[in-house]
Amino acid sequence: MNISSPYVIISLVYNEGMKAMGQSTAEEKRENNVTGDENKSFKTTLKNGILSGLKTTWLLTKIIVPVYFFVTLLKYTPVLDWISSLFAPIMKIVGLPGEAAIVLVLGNIINLYAALGAVASLALTGKQITIIAIMLSFSHSLFMETAVAKKTGISATVVIIIRLSLAILSGIVLNLVL
Amino acid sequence: MEFISILGEALKGSLESVFTIAKVVIPLMFIMEILKDLKVLDKLSDILRPGTKFLGISKNSSFPLMVGLTLGLAYGAGVIIKSAKEGDLSKKDLYLLMIFLVTCHSVIEDTLIFIAIGANGWLLLGIRIPLAIILTVIVSKHIDKYLKSSKGTL
Repeated sequence: MNISSPYVIISLVYNEGMKAMGQSTAEEKRENNVTGDENKSFKTTLKNGILSGLKTTWLLTKIIVPVYFFVTLLKYTPVLDWISSLFAPIMKIVGLPGEAAIVLVLGNIINLYAALGAVASLALTGKQITIIAIMLSFSHSLFMETAVAKKTGISATVVIIIRLSLAILSGIVLNLVL
Repeated sequence: MEFISILGEALKGSLESVFTIAKVVIPLMFIMEILKDLKVLDKLSDILRPGTKFLGISKNSSFPLMVGLTLGLAYGAGVIIKSAKEGDLSKKDLYLLMIFLVTCHSVIEDTLIFIAIGANGWLLLGIRIPLAIILTVIVSKHIDKYLKSSKGTL
């Protein structure tokens, strides 16, 4: 798997975020809001929109494809069965099969797109996918996002504890309710 | 020979999933770019003003809140850092905003890509947003003593 992909995304998202920093308070924006200005930049906006869509698609291809290959190959080795039986007792608490542990791990250490690649290569029910979606929506890309959050001065431990507890809690409750 | 058919299965399946996600992500990125450039978020952030009081944060927080909810954590954090430097946000605002945003950000993108793979989107939003609100409200009731006791670090 291309180890650089998550870092490409980290730097991309982060740089974009920092760019956004340079132009953003509400007051500033209202002041600069001249009508002529908007028309002039609309073409640029369209161009940037298409470029940004294509760039993101390329980035997600670089993540989803290797992950999908990885999990598909794993399915034909005993490894997936080992992982499955190893995690089955824990995953049962949130109503997921043992192999879904791979999805949660990939989502948390790499990002949501890696998790999507893994979900697509496993056979899961609608209920299971919804549980995974909710757990991952609370807790994903922990390395990258915690690094971003730390820039504001909030503690990394607090961030990670909050996110993991919400993920586990919501998984347990959803499994009981759905 | 079997190995080749496994690779074929992986190639087909992976490209199909890329396609599924791309159908969502390309239009979405396009819309995000427009939101960013045409200052739409500025106007939209007024919607969140009443909500800020409920969360225990100042009215100035509505813009970073809107940016984080739609564009994502990195943008949200960027705006928060800038506003804090300019004195628009207090320490308490900053922490509460981040508590909310680390659990609930880029809700449009996340929800749509999960819907694309078969999850229930309404349930997803209906759980994620209320839980993030409850958490933030609970923290806002208790945060003052921590900010005093520990020199402003949380």
